[in-house]
Amino acid sequence: MAALLEVKDLEVRYGSIEAVCGVSFQVEQGQILTIIGANGAGKSSTLLALSGLVRPSGGTIRFRGEDITGLRTDRIVRSGLVQVPEGRAILNPLSVEENLELGAWTRKDRKAVRPSMEKVYALFPALASRSRQLAGSLSGGEQQMLAIGRALMAEPRLLILDEPSMGLAPLLVKTIFDTIVAITRVGTTVLLVEQNARQALRISDRAIVLSHGRVLLQGPSAELLEDPVVIEAFLGKS
Amino acid sequence: MSGPSPLRRLLPWAVVVPIVALDLFIVVRNPGDLDRLLINMILALSAFVTLHAKLLSLANAGFMAIGAYASAIIAIKLGMPIAVSIPAAVLLCGAVALVIGMPVLKLKDVYLAICTLGFGEMVRVLIILTPGLTGGPTGANLSTGFPYEAMKQTKTWMLVALLAFLAYLFWAISRSRIGRAFRALRENPQAASTMGIDIVAYRRMAFLMSAMIAGAAGAFYAHSVGSLDNSDFKFNRALDILSYAVLGGSGRWFGSLLGGGFLTALPILLREVLGASVGFLKNFAQLPNIINGLALLLVVIFLPGGLASVFGARHGRRRTESAAGPGLLSPDKPAAAAVSGEPLLALEDISRHFGGLDALSKVGFTIKEGMILGLIGPNGAGKTTLINLISGLFPPSSGRIVWQGEDIQHRPAHRVARAGIARTYQNIQLFRDMTVLENVIVGRHTHIRTHLLTTLLQSPRERREERNARAEAMALLERLGLDGLAGEHAGNLSYGDQRRVEIARALAMHPRLLLLDEPAAGMNEIETERLGEFIVDLKQHGYTLLIVEHHMDLIMKICDEIVVLNFGRKIAQGTPALVSRDEQVLEAYLGRD
Repeated sequence: MAALLEVKDLEVRYGSIEAVCGVSFQVEQGQILTIIGANGAGKSSTLLALSGLVRPSGGTIRFRGEDITGLRTDRIVRSGLVQVPEGRAILNPLSVEENLELGAWTRKDRKAVRPSMEKVYALFPALASRSRQLAGSLSGGEQQMLAIGRALMAEPRLLILDEPSMGLAPLLVKTIFDTIVAITRVGTTVLLVEQNARQALRISDRAIVLSHGRVLLQGPSAELLEDPVVIEAFLGKS
Repeated sequence: MSGPSPLRRLLPWAVVVPIVALDLFIVVRNPGDLDRLLINMILALSAFVTLHAKLLSLANAGFMAIGAYASAIIAIKLGMPIAVSIPAAVLLCGAVALVIGMPVLKLKDVYLAICTLGFGEMVRVLIILTPGLTGGPTGANLSTGFPYEAMKQTKTWMLVALLAFLAYLFWAISRSRIGRAFRALRENPQAASTMGIDIVAYRRMAFLMSAMIAGAAGAFYAHSVGSLDNSDFKFNRALDILSYAVLGGSGRWFGSLLGGGFLTALPILLREVLGASVGFLKNFAQLPNIINGLALLLVVIFLPGGLASVFGARHGRRRTESAAGPGLLSPDKPAAAAVSGEPLLALEDISRHFGGLDALSKVGFTIKEGMILGLIGPNGAGKTTLINLISGLFPPSSGRIVWQGEDIQHRPAHRVARAGIARTYQNIQLFRDMTVLENVIVGRHTHIRTHLLTTLLQSPRERREERNARAEAMALLERLGLDGLAGEHAGNLSYGDQRRVEIARALAMHPRLLLLDEPAAGMNEIETERLGEFIVDLKQHGYTLLIVEHHMDLIMKICDEIVVLNFGRKIAQGTPALVSRDEQVLEAYLGRD
């Protein structure tokens, strides 16, 4: 069976900066794939290209067998690929519930939206008790939950998470990683970019390591956790 | 790296050549149009100044009217030469701008536009109501005591000279400290103010300059046309002037000259040249307006940065050598010897409410010179609010902030910055469209000892100070491993690199206290470790630091003392070892494994 997402020779440029130069990888249905890499390695740029937020300058992206390279973001979301952006990007002046409703914007099956919302509330009880509160007044951790919940409202086939643990207190980091595992249990495939490499490798099936816009290593996460290059560059001693 | 494509290189010429050709054609056909063209270009510059400072002002027509009538009255009624009347009119416009600027500049965007539009109408009504002085509704002409021969005194070369002077002024300012401050405040006023830039003063300066330039254009208009009528300064004049600058683009000044040149020549071409030969155009008086509007619309849609944007973004002009001067990595008052352990900053019973929410309640602690203080706590505990209070972005609801013995809780951000407190932001606040190097040079703003006069004269000091600031900024970038990115736009950098640029920009201020809000967010463990070493190095050079961070390894390793906040209250304070065993801290923040 073909992979859910197939990326071939992806290239992204900003002016004279080549952020991504020929990256290829696949994400299999039902798995968690982690992308790790130093700052400026091209992780976020790769994700932005997948979601159609930047136009790739080369390469192809196939999702569920179809070529989605260069499509508009709303079309890509409609096809089931949804991203939780770095820095959350929740809509501050709207309520929690309104934020969630907007996550289902592209869906045609309006009747099924309410059950989706119940699922999100079950996953994040903290959001249920604050459904009428303005999103901007939530704490950082709750905002991150809302951003993930909003993405889940589209009932994505592939959920892309860009640094979900960034800026969160230690207790919350653990909650977020537990949630990611819970999301894949119900059949959603996850593509995860994380600076917290150790945790990310622990929960994922496979991983790729990006360096200077290229794939340096890829393989099962358990193997990469033991890889001397990965330890040296990302995990440190401890 | 590859240069721009050949097509891209031709683009500026494809814009400039047709406009210049159009203007030449109009002027050769009727030399009398040259004055109008030059005056409109000067007016375009006047609108550019306010637009560049993000002020949507429509006062230009009003100031033009004041300049025109004032100079006419002084020249005719008082019998002064225009060498006196024109400067006097310009100064009058400046004085009026200072007075009305005080209340009016508190308004933003569309409110400012409406208010300044009202000002323009007020000026016009005032002219109509004072017939004895201005000629009133009849206009300033022979019948009201303003004979044409006495009025029409200017020669075209004077306008050319004025425009040349203004072009030089704009060129010099745009590459100076003042121009850089304008670009910074236009992109991010909050960050600019915490770099020590007095944004209110700069906005006033822009309004003042704009008014004086419009006044000069008006005065020359009076003595070039030879008669005045209040309808010359109506609402459509204000819109015309604004559209020159919008078409040209609010980013770079020479765009306004192109915008003014194009929008002045186009209607003349359509009405008088084509209209004479193409019959149906003669009967279609509104056509020039429609074409003008269309041109403006096309530019706004397809070239949002205006005509000037075809020249590409500003770039570092020369290659910049770095020069690690002596105090590169030390605070301004070298403290190496004087790390006294004296309290540098003391917070006393700080509270801050937002509506019904108590973001902070009665928080107090002191930061001693030369220490690293860690501030931790769950998300929403009030850590960033505290940093915002210290840096003067808003005052506390109650309590005192004492900096070296002085209360600073009511000082505005730029004065806190000048006193020696620098900061970075949790959600990065770089000047995204400026280069990395320029971002860091903005941090030098309060240290560069140049002013309008040195800029105008391009004095040796101006060049030396600018060169030194660039060299030092470059050295700082090198120190943070960012020198390879110096010429890139800050907005193009990765998240972690942007954080490092923010630190470099704050260090360029040579602060005595550096507030870092989650400096390691978006960095992996190795990068975090390197950041930790860098921060300890800063401490050894005499810096005092306050750090908000969630990476516990980092906090525990580098901090001398830790303060823990939860729900706006201080729940613990002490050494890392002490805090990490505290029951309340484990419960609220760290969790138990």
